[in-house]
Order: sequence, then C-alpha cells, then structure tokens
Amino acid sequence: MTALLELKNLKTYFKRKKIEIPAVDGVDLVINKGETVALVGESGSGKSITSLSIMRLIPSPPGRIVDGQINFNGQDLAKLTEDELCKIRGNDISMIFQEPMTSLNPVLTVGEQITEVLTYHQGMSKTMAKKKAIEMLELVGFSRAKEIVDDYPHRLSGGMRQRVMIAMAMSCNPKLLIADEPTTALDVTIQAQILDLMKDLSKKFETSILIITHDLGVVSEIADRVVVMYAGQVVEEALVEDLFENPLHPYTEGLMGSVPSIEEDLDRLKSIEGNVPAPENLPAGCRFAPRCPHKFDRCTAEMPQLLKINETRAARCFLYDSKEVPQ
Amino acid sequence: MLSYIIRRTLMAIPLLLGITVVSFAIMKFAPGDPTSLMMDPTISQADKAKFMERYGLNDPVYIQYFKWLGAMLQGDFGTSLIRKGVPVMEMIMNRMPNTILLMVVSTMLAVVISIPFGVISATKAYSKLDYSVTITSFLGVATPNFFLGLILIMVFAVQLNWFPTGGVSTLNEPFSIWDRIHHLFLPAFVLAAADMAGLTRYTRSSMMEVIKQDYIRTARAKGFKEQKVIYKHGLRNGLIPVITIFGLMIPSFIGGAVIVEKIFTWPGIGLLFVDSAFQRDYPVIMGLTVISAVFVVIGNLVADILYAIFDPRIEY
Ligand SMILES: Nc1ncnc2c1ncn2[C@@H]1O[C@H](COP(=O)(O)OP(=O)(O)O)[C@@H](O)[C@H]1O
Ligand SMILES: [Mg+2]
Repeated sequence: MTALLELKNLKTYFKRKKIEIPAVDGVDLVINKGETVALVGESGSGKSITSLSIMRLIPSPPGRIVDGQINFNGQDLAKLTEDELCKIRGNDISMIFQEPMTSLNPVLTVGEQITEVLTYHQGMSKTMAKKKAIEMLELVGFSRAKEIVDDYPHRLSGGMRQRVMIAMAMSCNPKLLIADEPTTALDVTIQAQILDLMKDLSKKFETSILIITHDLGVVSEIADRVVVMYAGQVVEEALVEDLFENPLHPYTEGLMGSVPSIEEDLDRLKSIEGNVPAPENLPAGCRFAPRCPHKFDRCTAEMPQLLKINETRAARCFLYDSKEVPQ
Repeated sequence: MLSYIIRRTLMAIPLLLGITVVSFAIMKFAPGDPTSLMMDPTISQADKAKFMERYGLNDPVYIQYFKWLGAMLQGDFGTSLIRKGVPVMEMIMNRMPNTILLMVVSTMLAVVISIPFGVISATKAYSKLDYSVTITSFLGVATPNFFLGLILIMVFAVQLNWFPTGGVSTLNEPFSIWDRIHHLFLPAFVLAAADMAGLTRYTRSSMMEVIKQDYIRTARAKGFKEQKVIYKHGLRNGLIPVITIFGLMIPSFIGGAVIVEKIFTWPGIGLLFVDSAFQRDYPVIMGLTVISAVFVVIGNLVADILYAIFDPRIEY
C-alpha cells in the first residue's frame, strides 16, 4: 500500500496570552490510498485542529504549525504558499464539517455552491458545471436534483444539507476527503445513510477518507483503521477489528468500556474519571496518567513514546514497554 | 416578489395618511397664523373676514384637512402665500431635480466609500488601518454637518479656491457637466460624511460577525482565494443588516440635506423649506413636509425590497 497522506511530527500551537499552547503535539499519521481512517478521541483532544492543519486552514493568528511535515501526494503541504494551497483545497483534498446547518452559504443556491467549485478548479463552463452539479446531487441521493439545484440551503433539512456538502466535496473527485464529525449533528437513521453514502462514494471514486468522530459506532461502521488521540497526541493505532477486539491503551480501553450502547457519545465518558487536560495545563509524564487505572511511578515521571507493537499497531503506554512492566 | 412589493406599498398608505394628519395639525396649531403675516395690520374686520372666507379659514378643522388632502391627491398643493399665485407644486418641482441629484450622488459616495472601508476594517481588524478608519468614522459621526460644511467651505472654497462656495452653477456660463460636478462635490461630500461614518461602522461589525461563520470556513476549504471568500461569500451576507440600517438612516439623511442645502445655497427643496419656514409660507411648508414623508416611506420601501432580494430566507 502506498501512503497518500503522511503526517510526521505535526505540531500546531495556539498563542494565548504570550504562551504557546500545544493543541496538536507531534502527531504521526498515515492514510493510504483508498483507505478510510478514523481519528477518535474526546472533545478537545486536537482532532479538528489536526484536520485543519492538513488543509492549512488554521486561523492564524493565534494558531501556527510550528513543526512537522504534511506529505501529500509527493508534496509537503506545510511548505506550500497560499496560492499553491488554493489549487489543492477543494480539488485534491476536500472537507466536510460537523454543522451542516451552517456550513452552506445561506444566500447562494445549492447549485451555485457546487458549480463554483467546478468552474474554479476544473475550468468548466457554467452550463457544464450545472449539469455536473445535478449529476452529483443525484449521486448523493436526491431524486429531485433538478429542483434542488436552484433551492437555497434553508429549505433543506440537516441530512439533505450534509448530502449537498458531500456532493460539493466530491465534485472534483478528490484524492482525500476529510470529514470532521459529519454525522454528529444528525438523527441516528440519517447518520447511517450518510455513512453508507460516504462508503459508497469512496469506493466509486477511490477516495481516501479521514473521518473524525467521537462515536465508536461510526468507527466500526466505516473505518479500516483507527487512530486514537488524547491531549494532542496519538495514543493508539490499530486496524478496526483489532481495536475492538483488544484495545491496548488504557484510554482506548476506557473509551470502549464507556460504550454501553455503541451510539453513546464519548463526550460523556462514564468509566474514565476526569477530563482531558487542557493543552495549556498538561501533566508531566504520560498525559493520561492522572486518569489511568494502571499507572505506576514511571508514568508520572516520563513521557511514553508511541511504541510499535507490530506492523499495524502502536500504543503510547509503558505497559507495552516489555522490560518495564512491573509485576 | 411582485406581490410582496405591492403588499409593502399598500402598507405604506395608512402611514402616509397619518403623516398628512400630523403635518396638517402642526401647521394649524403652530403659533403665528398666516392672516397676521399676509395682511396689513390696519385692515378692517370686514376685509379680514372676507379673506378668511376666501381661503376657507372659517371652515371646521376637519373640513379644511379633507379639502387640503383632496386637492393634494390631485397634485394641487395650493399656491404660495409669499410669491402670490405661484403653485406650490411648481415651486417644489423646480427645486426637486437639484435635491435628487445631491441625494443620489451623496448616497453613492457614501456607499462606494464606506462599504469597502468597512470590509477592509473587518478583515484587518485591530490593525493600524482599522484603527485609522475607526477614528475617522467616529470623528465623522461626531462632527455636525453644518460644522463640517463651514470648515470645508473655509478651507477648500475660500482659502484654496478649489471649489465654489455654493450654488449649482457658475453665473453667466453655459451648462456643463464639469461645472455641475465642481459645484456638487463639497455639498455631496458633507451630506455623505455622516452616513459614511455610520455605514462604515455597521459594515465592519457585520462583516466581523460574518467572517466567523462556518460557511466562510467552507468557502476557504473549497480553495478560493481570500478576496473571493470575503467578497463573494462574505459580503452578500454582511450587507443584509447594513441595508436595514441604511433604511433607518434615510430620515436623518433628508434632515441633513436641508442643512447642507442651506449652507451651500444649493437651490433644492431643503433650501426652499428653510426659506419658507422663515417666511411662514404655510402651503409650501406643508407640501414639503408631505413630500419628504413620501421620500422617507419610499426609501424604507426600497430598503425592504433590497433586503428581500439579498436574503433568500425572507419569505414573502
Ligand atoms: N481558535 C483557537 N484558539 C485557541 N485555542 C484553540 C483554538 N482552537 C482550538 N484550540 C485548542 O485546541 C484544542 C484542541 O481542539 P480541537 O482540535 O477542536 O479538539 P477536538 O478533538 O474536539 O476536535 C482545544 O482544547 C483548544 O484548547
Ligand atoms: Mg472537533
């Protein structure tokens, strides 16, 4: 498998009152061609900032990518100029967001919002682009695509708007689709439809997906591989079956344990006491140690590295540092 | 859309009627009645009675009102008391083009200058440029029209001699566009100034709100350049509240026109109003009051219609 996107030691910091806050603190992450990777973790663990860093859409100031590489398709996005990035965004990498109700422009029709991407990136004529927009709307499941194309977003439901966002994002046939909690704001039945649609389209267009979620149900539904984030760092990486069968990191274990029904929100963790530490107030040593049921002396003294367990698995925990596990 | 426009227009009618009642009442009960002004104080009681009879001043008040309203609806505002026999309508219509020219040009000036400055101020918020725009706007809001007008006349007309001190054209010269613009520049600028300041501030705060919205992030994620993000995706949303404010500014704009016309002796209806008020030329004052009320109502109507055009979420 060849890597489409490879983050190496990505660090994105925010400046607040003269101090730099590590929202994303040395993330390594690979997405292969055609693969769907889920990025999981509680709110505030740095998932959205990771994805916005890939798009190079970190609000600056106060945010800044301070270190690391974002290798995409042979280029390091971290080094590109704004003009070069504009050619990639919406064309090679596109993104959909959590809030379908507010992510579409209220004063432009659905059609205008899809066609403008096509005329801009693909140089299509207006009529060609409109034809293609209708095609895309049909593809994402609108039976009345010819009418929807001239509608304004406020006439559509949340699920329909998310379909429009997907049609828009897929219209230039991107290599990578980033979906930041695309179903969180939707009803459960609509969630399933949207996930199915994303699965179908990723197969059809051979698009890789980075899906951000805090819903393990979504993970099991769509992902090939899972990356678990905690306090700005990757704490575990695994194929989806392996993760559900045998979570390694105590944090992942906690996430699983806190899912009585698979739809339960990770925001309301029951089995892990406490909260994600704020990035401006991180503990020394392992960042999960204050909440960890298995912690021992070394955990509060030293920061564990992301240990490679086998080809597809890694965990950031001293429990798997064979020589160091206490009895 | 058309039905919305018609409905809004019909809704304006009771408002206009109300305005005629109020303006009639104010004139009627204001101190200083026209007979004392128009007639020789030594006139006999009999002659005075004849005069009152002739002008219908003995009728009950409501009859006077309906007579006045009925005539006005046919475009008859009566005749001037001072310039005897000249129809008020004619006096107003002679002055109207000058006022419309002044208002249209200064509105355009205000819009063309303040909207870009408001947008730049918002996108570069808290920069030096933003601070200078902000300070200039506050000065603009705080400076009364007449004061700004007098200062500009003193500096640019009297001392530098770049512009004339007033009037619409140079005496004894044939009409030329350039001459008209030359005369128009200062009054239009002064009239625009107060609105400019307000509009810049409203555009700024509205755009500050808009650029935080999710759909702006979406536009950036589509790969558009910052210019396109701001002007195509942001501005149309940002202008929606500005249009409402603009509608609310119309009355003060008309009030401003009266002052500016007086200062620059710009022969429009504002100057006519001031002169008529000093001479207690009641029919002219009443005619002008009604006409400016119509202006305000039409202005608000246009603002509402623009609002509906700009915001597809308005159901009409
Ligand atoms: N605009 C911002 N300014 C300052 N700090 C921010 C900003 N956006 C995010 N952060 C910080 O980054 C951390 C991670 O945020 P985010 O990536 O949104 O988390 P999530 O995993 O819930 O998507 C937050 O805890 C917050 O402290
Ligand atoms: Mg998030």
